[in-house]
Amino acid sequence: MAYIDIENVSFCYPGQSRFVLRDINLRIYKEGVTAVTGANGSGKTTFSKLLIGLLKPVKGRIQLNGKLLSSLTLAQIGRQIGYVFQNPDKQLFCETVEEEIAFGVRNLGLPPERVTQKVREVMDYFELSRYAQAYPLSLSAGEKRRLALAAVFALEPGLLLLDEPTTGLDPYRKQLLGDYLDKLVAANRGVVVISHDQKFIDRYATRLLRLEDGQFIEE
Amino acid sequence: MTGLDPRTKIVMIICLSTLAVFLNEPWPLLLLFILTLVILLIMRINFFRIIMRFKKLLPLLLLMLIIQSVFSAGGDVLLSFQGVNILTTNGINTSLCILFRLLTFFSSAMIIMTSHSRDYVLALVQLKIPYEIAFMVLVSLRFLPVFIEEIKDTLVAMQLRGVDLQRIPWRHKIKFYTHLFAPLLSRVMLKAHQLAIAMEARAFRVYRRRTYLRLLHYSAKDYVAMVFFITATIAVLARDFLY
Repeated sequence: MAYIDIENVSFCYPGQSRFVLRDINLRIYKEGVTAVTGANGSGKTTFSKLLIGLLKPVKGRIQLNGKLLSSLTLAQIGRQIGYVFQNPDKQLFCETVEEEIAFGVRNLGLPPERVTQKVREVMDYFELSRYAQAYPLSLSAGEKRRLALAAVFALEPGLLLLDEPTTGLDPYRKQLLGDYLDKLVAANRGVVVISHDQKFIDRYATRLLRLEDGQFIEE
Repeated sequence: MTGLDPRTKIVMIICLSTLAVFLNEPWPLLLLFILTLVILLIMRINFFRIIMRFKKLLPLLLLMLIIQSVFSAGGDVLLSFQGVNILTTNGINTSLCILFRLLTFFSSAMIIMTSHSRDYVLALVQLKIPYEIAFMVLVSLRFLPVFIEEIKDTLVAMQLRGVDLQRIPWRHKIKFYTHLFAPLLSRVMLKAHQLAIAMEARAFRVYRRRTYLRLLHYSAKDYVAMVFFITATIAVLARDFLY
């Protein structure tokens, strides 16, 4: 069964006549790494926003795990899809790096000792431990990107949706990210990566979708 | 009226807001609000569409009106509970005054939307306001929607990390809202710093005297509008002070 089922979805922004996405029929499974590519302005980020319910389709419907996406709250969607924004600055709001990662984990209702353990594990993996008490917005661009990824990864959602995750990461950290994606896939979780990084896509993607003229071409 | 000089529009807004502050009776305030609506209509601004964007604030406004009504004693008692006056004629008057005053402030500010922000910088400079101050006004107008967008993004990010803002009680909700201000303040400071560097890199304030390609000129209808608004404002205020 598809984790996300997209049926005849079309979308255009209010006040505009041009459809960014036209009659999309697509199934996304909780397995493998699905890469979404396309030229600038082709609608990749719009597509990701539709998947997490930030935008509503003008036509058609999207189902998440068998439930209509429009009937779920953002918090309910966030527990099933981990979304990393294109600009990490927009999703960092806590006073310390440690607090940033712990924020979502606490909302899962885990006991405090498990929260602490989980936060330490994720910080260690993303090499953020030495910044544990630093203010997130004062970090470098690459560090902020890693923190945004870490904060979402810590929630262990069924599907990860990453918008341009390799921007600002050095080759070593790109590999670290890729290895983590492999680990997630091995643990029966799915990943959708929106990226222009062809090398990264070639190395990790198991399915490739190209967005062109508002429609997907499976490659 | 859309072709009025930006300076005339600034004078109109000052006059309407001044009257809204000084008038203290519901009927004159209602008339002032209707006058403002007529101006907006002539300027082809859809007031109701804009005000609908703020419909989420309506419960707060209603609560404020009820509180004002309860705490404004005097007049005839219309509703009381165990000796406490809940609704009085004075209370209703005060609430209506606040409502019409707020609506007038809000709608008169919409007149600003009928000119380009660059024209307001020119207008302020020609009103002998230093260019740096005028430019700061322009920047604040330009960045306001950006900051509103950033607050929305932070709210979305919080919800996507499992906070159900629609379902948690208010006392817990307030705790989450405090998370909005620290990053916003930080981003404002960062943006201001980056903007200052970008402006200096493009030779901002290199020369003491600035010249302008285009200058604003008053037309006959500007003089008519200004004389009307200033005279009417002085007349209403004088009548209020004298009688």
